[in-house]
Amino acid sequence: MFLKGCPLDCPWCSNPESKDKDPQIMFNPNLCIDCKKCIEICPNNAVDFNLRGRIVRDKCNLCMECVDHCYSKALSIEGIEGSVEELLFELNKDRIHYRRSNGGITFSGGEALYQSDFLLELLKGCKANGWHTTIETAGYYPKETLEKIIPWTDLFLYDIKMIDDGKHKKVIGVSNKRILANAKFAAASSADLVVRTPIIPGFNDDKESVSEIAEFALDLKGVKRIDILPYHRLGEDKYYGLGQKYQMKDIESPSNEKMEQIKELIIKKGIDCTIGGVE
Amino acid sequence: MKATKKLKFSYQLPEKAPRIDTLLDDLMSVTPEIDPERAVLITESYKENESLPVIKKRAKALEKILKEMNIVIRDNELIVGNQTTKPRSSPIFPEFSNKWLLDEFDTLAERDGDRFLISEKTKETLKEVFDYWDQSTTNELATSLMTQEALEAMDAGVYTVGNYYFNGVGHVCVSYDEVLAEGFNGIIEKAKAAKKELSFGNPDDTPKRHFLDSVIITAEAVIEFAGRFAEEAEKLAEKTSDNKRKKELLEVAKNCRNVPANPASTFHEALQSFWFVQLVLQLESNGHSISPGRFDQYMYPYLKKDLDNNEITLEKAQELLDTLWVKFNDINKVRDQASTDAFGGYPMFQNLIVGGQTPGGQDATNLLSFMCLEATEHTKMPQPSISVRYWDKSPEEFMMKAAETTKEGLGMPAYYNDEVTIPSLTNRGLTLEDARDYCIIGCVEPQKMGKTEGWHDAAFFNMAKVLELALNDGKDPMQDYKQLGPKTGKASSFESFDEVMDAYKNQMEYFVELLIHSDNCVDSAHAERAPLPFLSSMVDDCIDEGKSVQNGGAHYNFTGPQGVGVANVGDSLAAVRKLVFEEKEISIEELENVLANNFDGHEALRQKLLNNAPKFGNDIDEVDELAREGALIYCKEVEKYENPRGGSFQPGLYPVSANVPLGAATGATPEGRLAGTPLADGVSPVGGRDQNGPTAAVNSVAKLDHHIASNGTLLNQKFHPSALEGENGSRNLNALIGSFFDQKGFHIQNNVVSGDVLREAQKNPDNYKNLVVRVAGYSAHFVSLDKSLQDDIISRTEQCF
Repeated sequence: MFLKGCPLDCPWCSNPESKDKDPQIMFNPNLCIDCKKCIEICPNNAVDFNLRGRIVRDKCNLCMECVDHCYSKALSIEGIEGSVEELLFELNKDRIHYRRSNGGITFSGGEALYQSDFLLELLKGCKANGWHTTIETAGYYPKETLEKIIPWTDLFLYDIKMIDDGKHKKVIGVSNKRILANAKFAAASSADLVVRTPIIPGFNDDKESVSEIAEFALDLKGVKRIDILPYHRLGEDKYYGLGQKYQMKDIESPSNEKMEQIKELIIKKGIDCTIGGVE
Repeated sequence: MKATKKLKFSYQLPEKAPRIDTLLDDLMSVTPEIDPERAVLITESYKENESLPVIKKRAKALEKILKEMNIVIRDNELIVGNQTTKPRSSPIFPEFSNKWLLDEFDTLAERDGDRFLISEKTKETLKEVFDYWDQSTTNELATSLMTQEALEAMDAGVYTVGNYYFNGVGHVCVSYDEVLAEGFNGIIEKAKAAKKELSFGNPDDTPKRHFLDSVIITAEAVIEFAGRFAEEAEKLAEKTSDNKRKKELLEVAKNCRNVPANPASTFHEALQSFWFVQLVLQLESNGHSISPGRFDQYMYPYLKKDLDNNEITLEKAQELLDTLWVKFNDINKVRDQASTDAFGGYPMFQNLIVGGQTPGGQDATNLLSFMCLEATEHTKMPQPSISVRYWDKSPEEFMMKAAETTKEGLGMPAYYNDEVTIPSLTNRGLTLEDARDYCIIGCVEPQKMGKTEGWHDAAFFNMAKVLELALNDGKDPMQDYKQLGPKTGKASSFESFDEVMDAYKNQMEYFVELLIHSDNCVDSAHAERAPLPFLSSMVDDCIDEGKSVQNGGAHYNFTGPQGVGVANVGDSLAAVRKLVFEEKEISIEELENVLANNFDGHEALRQKLLNNAPKFGNDIDEVDELAREGALIYCKEVEKYENPRGGSFQPGLYPVSANVPLGAATGATPEGRLAGTPLADGVSPVGGRDQNGPTAAVNSVAKLDHHIASNGTLLNQKFHPSALEGENGSRNLNALIGSFFDQKGFHIQNNVVSGDVLREAQKNPDNYKNLVVRVAGYSAHFVSLDKSLQDDIISRTEQCF
């Protein structure tokens, strides 16, 4: 389950529709049948066929008339509002699968902790059903936020992108001090923790950055594994669909050999490593 | 590469022997041809035996074929027995139908899929042969038995009984175990003993005597046939200077001297004996889906004995098994163009199933279960169609092995759920022990081996067409509104959704009754013109009852016609109910109008129907229950009826590849489907409409009643290879299968290939000659399929976890 809203601004994010906490209109040109109903129906003249994202965002007041009348679903709402009860009803549909796979619910985002009060209620609901819970987080929150949810969490997939705070600040826009401190705190808690590192060419794919992350992970109590995730461009079209720029246009995904080398390096440091979580 | 693969079962399965690739190369280097030899021999035999009763005519014909056909031992073979002189050629069976072949002589080598070469000389020979059969085929008799209404309904694509209408029946698993244990000498003894019980004074006993004589004739003929191979092997052994090959040929000769006449004394003999049965069944009639069934169960004792006594190494046993796997692909069959559309890719549907439980209810998995999967990994060929039985006590390591095989991307194995199949069969009258011992025939059809004439592939019935007729007052929009069904009112006359459902039910009642009539006509035609003594000799209770399976000699008798288009009917009904009657977004007149014009100029409205009503495959009760209801209405109609063999009809829900031609005969449908485009395959959602991932798709499919569709249901899933990577990927796949089965799904099969690869293969077929994909209940070489079927496979939703 993806929860909307994120305090970080990583340029490689593959879920740009989850960064903003509010619903957004996304345009998918492959589905458009050129019926032009959206132009006809929009009360604010906020539809422009010359725009790659189709919607003039500063004119649009999210009345959703265009989305409601777009029968081919080329225009869609990203983000729906729902109650804890409604969401648990949806999650319950797959309960039989959780039993077979020893699986459960993974809360991701955006940032799973962005709506932490809501998340807490969802987690309690999951636990009442006996489901396994996983939180995917970048950890940029006060310690109290983590403290609150830990009793209801089985596993953290904890993003650590960079140990050097200067570089972290420069690219992601915030300091990593709190992130690293929270990692230590979460690792020492009752929940399990796996470190996840997106490998971004030119940012953290060098030996030094990788080694530092591995060494940091080694020091975390009870942490047995790092999952490295190769940067990919699957999110690119979504940026355009939201009327946004894609800043990583010229960056290619790391090669398989490169990923294997990084994996080797991490394993040599004394901690297990997978590419993309594949054992 | 590692020399062995370590298994928890503590067996180490050997690498592929070098011989296997040589055999495969020889096999695949040949383009299939038409071989007229069998057609000539059966015609001569019929002419020589005009005065005999039909059962004996059939026996004498098989005897002549086995005596006189050209026999070949191919290079490097260890298991021998050829269907045609060249590999993968097709013999001809003029007694079932032949006029289509005459019409298609000049297109066979040119058509889009399943090409066969045919020489001018063969054409001449066959023309002469076919003259003899004019008006004498099963097909022509069946046609003359059918009413005009039935013929018109078939023309309109409401249903097709094409399979057995034009061909032999096949679709059986005989008592291989009995032949291995007793030999054909045992069967001859049994027939002789039964004859002794007959009385000259009882008029009913005369046909029985002829039947039993026929059993003896064919049993003796197959023994003699094996003897010819023994001689040939000895001759070749004498000629060869290669000592290793000489030894092999002498071993082959020794085997053929002993089996299938006598009980098999070694694993090698057991495999050879099995192959003679498998081969001669195909020579007797051209019915496909002659299925080896629970091979790992009846063959295992022979393997175990040899291993325990150090008579064979595991390497040798695996090599022998692999050579048999190659052999399965030597069998071929030519079909008419329409059947080729419904069964694309040279499929023979020789379904071989491993795992599951014993008749006593214990887990049945053994070493051979693993070796069979390994043989499929080694040979990577479409045949045999390998399947796995799954139940709550299937060993984890066995399921991991099956997942490994799945990940080879061949679309195999197919998985079947014991927990649904067994109760569905006991519900049809099987004993618990027999139901637990089920195997799968052809695509997905369960039966008890050696006791059943299941007539499993009796018809494909177009449920979407029935809905189309229900919305058009029983008139066919694809044929200028010709009146085909009862007058149930036009769509625009319906004032409520219930009236739509009533019309659908009324049309269903009418067309299912016609379907039953057509099937029973074809059934009677086979009994009258093509009873099969050899096959019947290996099915209980034919010898005891003194009659062939075609005359009702089998212990269990069924007829299984398939409903096609479950998802289209469900999606259409949901769109009509929601958008027309509940939300009144579209008027019923408007709907009637746009359907009649195939949405021409109304793309936005089509998109509304596609996207603003729920679709089957997303775990939404509102539509899933309508799909269930639409299918149930069909199933409940079918199971009311009986066949001429004293058995009942049982419905299935699977399409083979008939969803493509049946779709071509169906106009635009209310879920937004364009006229003439394929229907959904099996019980799978419409390709691309299941957008909530694999768990939601299987949850929807599991809401159908799989127990009532006891002739089998079929769910296709397509995975991108990356979704199943590593051990995690295997575990996820197994968890999905397990949880689908927990929810009482019946069958699931998985293509593991990316859409990019398929599109690339379409463009450059020469580079992808070996690419095997799952079509429906079978796998085939992708490049041998015609384009519409290739497109249909590409359009299936690609799932990721």
